[in-house]
Amino acid sequence: MNPLTFTLKIKPQFSLDVAELTPDNLAEKNRSKIKNLKLSYGKKKVTVAELFSITGNDSENIQIHRSNDKLVCVGQGISHGSIEVKGDVGELLGQHMKGGHIIVHGNAGSWLGNGMSGGRIDITGNAGDHIGAGKPGDAFGMTEGFINIKGSAGDRVGDRMRRGIITIHGKAGDFCGSRMHAGTILVLDKAGKNVGTGMRRGTIILAKKPKHIVATFKSNGNLKMQFLRLLFTQFVTMGKEFSKFRNFDPEVHRFSGDLARNGKGEILILQSLNLKK
Amino acid sequence: MKINGVTIDDTFAEAFPMKASRLIITAMTLKWAYRAANALRGFASSVIACGCEADIERELKPSETPDGRPGISLMIFAMSMKDLEKQIPMRVGQSIMTAPTSACYSGIDSEVQIPMGKQLRYFGDGYQISKKINGRRFWRIPVMHGEFIVEDTVGVTNAIGGGNFLVLGKTSRHVLTACEAAVEEIKKVPGVITAFPGGIVGSGSKVGSKYDFLSASTNEAYCPTLKGQVKSHLGDEIGSVMEIVIDGIDEESIREATRVGVLAACSYGPKKGIYRISAGNYGGNLGPYHFHLRKILK
Repeated sequence: MNPLTFTLKIKPQFSLDVAELTPDNLAEKNRSKIKNLKLSYGKKKVTVAELFSITGNDSENIQIHRSNDKLVCVGQGISHGSIEVKGDVGELLGQHMKGGHIIVHGNAGSWLGNGMSGGRIDITGNAGDHIGAGKPGDAFGMTEGFINIKGSAGDRVGDRMRRGIITIHGKAGDFCGSRMHAGTILVLDKAGKNVGTGMRRGTIILAKKPKHIVATFKSNGNLKMQFLRLLFTQFVTMGKEFSKFRNFDPEVHRFSGDLARNGKGEILILQSLNLKK
Repeated sequence: MKINGVTIDDTFAEAFPMKASRLIITAMTLKWAYRAANALRGFASSVIACGCEADIERELKPSETPDGRPGISLMIFAMSMKDLEKQIPMRVGQSIMTAPTSACYSGIDSEVQIPMGKQLRYFGDGYQISKKINGRRFWRIPVMHGEFIVEDTVGVTNAIGGGNFLVLGKTSRHVLTACEAAVEEIKKVPGVITAFPGGIVGSGSKVGSKYDFLSASTNEAYCPTLKGQVKSHLGDEIGSVMEIVIDGIDEESIREATRVGVLAACSYGPKKGIYRISAGNYGGNLGPYHFHLRKILK
């Protein structure tokens, strides 16, 4: 079976909500039903057939071609299967995702992984702000799952996240890991200002020491954290880009905090990760 | 039936359903993983009085362990889930957590899980941290050497305990030598353990006793010093009997362990003081698993 492929026929000028195009929604639907599905395009409702040419028939593996940043809510609520996007995507990628796999060969917008409770998202480019974060009114950000960004991310990565792992191979913006409840964030290049501000629990791992650490974090000195061996050994199984962690020496400078919010979170600054390897 | 001149009795080992779990114990060095594992398996030779039966299954390379450190795979068997739920946290807490640099993970992927770190985490006195990685939850308990990492739960599977065979020979020295060789071969079989010291039982028991308060007592039919006094199963030439008890994940693994163990013992032959191989059973009425020696060795 070939992946069910949606190729954009137009260059969208307005937000195009493609939340309907998931394995969950398209299972058991024949080609004509899929073509007649209505999508929100700006203020209008238009059929899938007006916007996309469709090929393939495997609704468990969906591909979206010629995507751009006007496509929003890609993979919303997905619980199984995969969605592969060629091109950029807009906001709310993988919102309320429960399982499965989303791969974007391009950049992603803000609020990626909002309300995510399982599955994996891979972005080959950069991502916007509030990755894995909770929206105003949400109790938490992501509660489970794995977000892997090969480029850089914007501000407030993992804000109020409850659980799960976010890895950023490039830079992270300001307030990375702010107000975290738990979970793990790994940044392999520079992180912006105020890392971990207001975090209650959770782990932020930085490959490069930030210019300053928030005053409400307390240094615990240099330590060998055995749990990082476990974490990185598991990372190695998650993709080639993590192979640099093989045989990694888990020495870190540990800061615990935010002491203004009970101080059970931690910032770990890697001491010996050679990123060129 | 004879193998290398050693008589194989036409009998069977009678075994029982048990519950089993596998723990992966890692440490900074293999030496310390062994020390932790050996502490855990101490006083775990028989469910008769120890609550469980445990032994090292095999060494693990760093590439085989969850944290990339050298490790030990250890199996623990008990008569019920309840016993395992009691024994595992207690033994991991007292024997693994106390061993420097150690960590303990589940080694069985099973839908049935029992608490491990879930109970031990309280040792962290509120400073413990949980981490969920690849769908598995781990606890980081701050301890004096750094952190003790322990998996939240451990998988449990149905298993079989009490597979066995008896090696009968001229003297204790002869029988012990043959049994040691048998245990070395059994260790190569995955999914089985021989929980008694060195894998060999010097004092095999029968069910019951003349004393009401004892559930098991010496198996007089196989005691060389009681020949002539009791209805003995030993001929004049037999001066010593030792038993190898095998617990395993399934019938097939116990069968294979019995086969390789018996063949190893038989390789010594009568010239080196090994005369007979037998097995312990209770008439076939107690345990649902019967391992017929001659069928296994055919």
